[in-house]
Amino acid sequence: MANGTKKARLLRYWPRLLFLVPFVAMLFVSSYNRLAPELGGIPFFYWYQLAWILLGAAIVLVVYAIETKVTRVTERTEREAEPSGVPGDIL
Amino acid sequence: MTLDLTATAVFVALFLFVTWLGFVAARWRKADLNLLHEWGLGGRRFGTVVTWFLLGGDLYTAYTFIAVPALVYGKGAMGFFAVPYTILIYPILYIVFPRLWEVTRARGHVTAADFVRDRFGSRLLALAFALTGIVATMPYIALQIVGMEVVIGALGFPAGGFVGHLPLIISFIILAAFTYTSGLRAPALIAIVKDTLIFITVFAALVIIPAELGGYRAIFASVPQEKLLLSPPSGDSLGAYSAYATLALGSAFALFLYPHAMTGILSSSSGNVIRRNAAFLAAYSFILGLIALLGYMAIAAGVDKYPAYQAGFAQYGPNFAVPALFLASFPSWFVGVAFAAIAIGALVPAAIMSIACANLFTRNLYKEFFRPDCSEADEARMAKIVSLVVKIGAVVFILAIPQSYAIQLQLLGGIWIIQLLPPILLGLYARHFNAAALLIGWAAGTIIGTYMAATQNFISSVYPLEVFGVALPGYAALYSLLINFLIALALAPLFDRIGRTTGSISR
Repeated sequence: MANGTKKARLLRYWPRLLFLVPFVAMLFVSSYNRLAPELGGIPFFYWYQLAWILLGAAIVLVVYAIETKVTRVTERTEREAEPSGVPGDIL
Repeated sequence: MTLDLTATAVFVALFLFVTWLGFVAARWRKADLNLLHEWGLGGRRFGTVVTWFLLGGDLYTAYTFIAVPALVYGKGAMGFFAVPYTILIYPILYIVFPRLWEVTRARGHVTAADFVRDRFGSRLLALAFALTGIVATMPYIALQIVGMEVVIGALGFPAGGFVGHLPLIISFIILAAFTYTSGLRAPALIAIVKDTLIFITVFAALVIIPAELGGYRAIFASVPQEKLLLSPPSGDSLGAYSAYATLALGSAFALFLYPHAMTGILSSSSGNVIRRNAAFLAAYSFILGLIALLGYMAIAAGVDKYPAYQAGFAQYGPNFAVPALFLASFPSWFVGVAFAAIAIGALVPAAIMSIACANLFTRNLYKEFFRPDCSEADEARMAKIVSLVVKIGAVVFILAIPQSYAIQLQLLGGIWIIQLLPPILLGLYARHFNAAALLIGWAAGTIIGTYMAATQNFISSVYPLEVFGVALPGYAALYSLLINFLIALALAPLFDRIGRTTGSISR
C-alpha cells in the first residue's frame, strides 16, 4: 500500500518542482549583479529582481492551478473548512 | 522643526478613525471572545481577502517600510536583498503551511508550540519553542515603535522628554485597549485601512517624486557608483554575493516561524486560502521593492543637505531618509496621509505580535506548567492580560534602553527563530523523530548562531565562514540552522537505538 500511495503522491506534487526555478534564479547572484541592460532608466540589477516578484507569483499561481485541477484539493479542503456551514470562504 | 499643523490634523483624524474601527471590530463576525481561538485566532474564519490584508499588514510592517529604504539609502545594493527574500518566502509558504494549518485545526492547536508538544510529546521542546517565540518577537514589537517614533518626530513633535514620548504612549494605550477588547479581529480590520493608505502613498510617491527628480535615469545617476551593485568576489572570498544570497534565503526560512506570522496563517479558513495568498501576497513584495527604491530617491533629492532635516537625521539616522523625502516632495495634507499609513502600519503588526506572544505564554507556559486545569475562559482572560503586559514592556523597553539594543536584539531574533525550523519540518514530514535530538540541535544552533553574531559585535549578522581557505561571508542564521539540522539528524538514530525514544503520536 505504502508504495502505491507514494507513487500517487509524487504524481500529485510534481508541479512543485517548478518552485526550484525562483530559488535557482535568486541565489545565482552573479547572473544579475550588473547595470546593463537598463529598463526605463532602471539598472538591470533592480528591474530584474522586481520582475522576478511577478514571475514568482505567476509560478505559484500555475502550481496552484495544476494542483487543484489534478487533485481537486479545493473541494476537499473547503468542505473540511466549513463544518459550521458558514458560507464565504472568500471573505 | 516646527509642528506641521495640516499634516498633524490629517494624521490624527486617520488615527482616530482606525481607533474607532479597532473597537467596532469586536462585533465583526460576532462570536464569544472569551474563547482563546476566537480572541487570538479570529475563530479561524478569515478568507482569502481578509487573510491577504492581515498577513500583508503583519509581515510588511512599519519598520520594514522605514528600514528597508534606509538600508538602501545607506548601503546601496545590499539593502535590496529584501526583494529576493520576499520572492523566496512564497514557495515555502505554499508547501509547508497549508499542511501545518490542517494539523493544527484538526487537533485544536493555537500556537506552533502546541503542535510540537502534541507531535513529539515533549514539554521541554514546546517550552523551547514558546520561549524562543516570545523572546524573538519582543524586540520586533519594540522596532514597530521605532518606526512610529520616526514619523511622529517628522511631524514636528519635540523629540525626547515626556512630552516628546506622549504621542507614542497615547497610541500604544489605544492599541492595547482595542487589542484587549477585540483580539485578532481588530488588526485584521485595521489592516484593510492601513494597506489602502500604503498603496495610495506608494503610488503617489512613484508618480510624483521621479517626476520632480527628472526621471529614474537621473535618480540612479546621482547614486554613487559603488552603491549600485554588489562588490564582486575577490581572491579567496565570495564577498557580497554569498552574503546577499544567504541573507535572502535565511530570512525567507525564518519569516513564517515568527509567532505573529504563524498567528496570521492559522487564522485563515482553509489550506487553500493560504495557497492562494502565496501568490497574491507578492503584491506587497512588489510594493516593498518599490519602497526600497525610495532610498535612492532620497539620495537624489539630497534630503540630508536640507537644513530643515538636519535635526531629524541627527536623531534618527538613515531611518529619517524616507520621512524627509515625503516632507520635501508632498504637500502637507498628503504628508499626513503618508505618515498615518506608516504609523497605522506599526499598530497592525504590534497588535498581532502581542496577541501571538499572549497565545504562546498562555497555552505553553501558563496552562502547561502552572494551571493545567484552567478553563477556556481563564485561558482567554490570561491571554488578554498578557497582551497588555507585552505592549507595556515594549514601550518601556524602547524608552528606557538605547534604540541600538532593540535593533541588535531583533537581529539576534532572526537567528533564534530560524532554529525552530527542524522540529516544524520533521514534525510535518517525518513519520517519527526523536525529540531529544531536536532539542539538542535547537540548543546547539541557538548557541552557535549567537556566538557568530557575537564575533561581529552584534552589529552584523553576516559571519565570515571559512571553508577550505575560501571565505563565505553569510547569514549566521542559515549557518547555525545547518548545524542544528545536522546535529538533530545525527543524534536521532543514536538516541532511538539507546531506547530513549520519547513517544511520538501517530497522525
